[in-house]
Amino acid sequence: MIVESKLAPIRKGLLEFLVLKIVGTTSVYVPDILRRLAGTEFATQEGTLYPLLSKLRREELVLYEWKESDAGPPRKYYRLTDAGKAQLTALDEYWNLINRTIADIGH
Amino acid sequence: MQRISTTVRLNRSILQFDDAAHARLEQYLAESASLLEGDPDPQEILNDLEQAVADQCTRRLRPDQSVVTLAELGPALEEIGSVQVPGAGAGSKQTPRDTPRLLRQVSEGAVISGVCQGVARYFGLNVTLLRVVTVLLLIGTGGGMILLYLALMLLMPYAPLEPGSAPIRWLPKKCRAFVEFLRAKLGVERPGNTPA
Repeated sequence: MIVESKLAPIRKGLLEFLVLKIVGTTSVYVPDILRRLAGTEFATQEGTLYPLLSKLRREELVLYEWKESDAGPPRKYYRLTDAGKAQLTALDEYWNLINRTIADIGH
Repeated sequence: MQRISTTVRLNRSILQFDDAAHARLEQYLAESASLLEGDPDPQEILNDLEQAVADQCTRRLRPDQSVVTLAELGPALEEIGSVQVPGAGAGSKQTPRDTPRLLRQVSEGAVISGVCQGVARYFGLNVTLLRVVTVLLLIGTGGGMILLYLALMLLMPYAPLEPGSAPIRWLPKKCRAFVEFLRAKLGVERPGNTPA
C-alpha cells in the first residue's frame, strides 16, 4: 500500500503517455480506453479521461471524428495526429531511458 | 402513483429524471463546471460528461423503465468519477499560471468574497491577522472600510478554483457569481480567462 502511494504521482503523470499509446494503436472511443486500462494500475474514469483528451486535442496530439453507433447517439473516435505520433515515439524513448537508468543505478 | 419527472437534454440524448435524481445531476454538472473553471475549453468536456451520464443511465434502465432515479444515477456517477483536471496534483501542483504572484481573490475558505485571503497571499501576511485589522478598521472608519472592501471585491480578479480543495461557503460563492455576472454584463472580462 505504501509503495503504491509513493509512486502515485508518477502513475498519474504516466496516464497521458498510456492514453497516447492506446490511441496510437487504433482509432478508439472512450469506453475502449477505459476497458484497456481497467484492472491495471492505471484504471481510470471518464471524469479523468475527458479533460485529458480535451487537453491533448488542444495540443493537437489527438483528433477525433464522429462515428455512428448501432445503438444510441454517434460516438467520438480518437486517433493520433502526426504530432501525436512523434510525441509518443519521443515519450517511449525517454521512458526506456529512464528505465535503463533505474536498472543501472545500485548495481 | 405517478412520480413527477423532468425531461433533461444531455448533449445528444434526452432522458427523464425524477426529482431526486435531477437534483443530483444538476449538482454533479455544477461541480464539474466549477472544477473546469480555468480550462480553455470547458464546454467540450461538459458535453462529453453529459453524454457519458446519459449513456451510463440508459444502460442501467430496466426495459420497462423510462424515468432515471438515484438507483441508476448514483452508480453511473460513481463510475464516471468527478472531474480531474490534467496536471493538477501530479507533483507540479501549481502550474506556472500562479507562479507570478497576482493580486487575486481566493474563494476557497473565504468569509465574504476572498479579498482578505487574496491580499494576504499577495503580501505574504497572516490572513487571520489581516481580517482582524480589517474589522478594526471597519469600526474605526465608521463604515469607510465597507467601500474599500466593495471596491476591491469588484476590481480584484478571482483566482481560478483549485480542484479538489474544500467546498466554497455560501457567501463567497454568491459574491463570486455576482461579481462575475456584473463583469460579464459590463464586458470587462470573461470569468476564469485572465491571461497567465
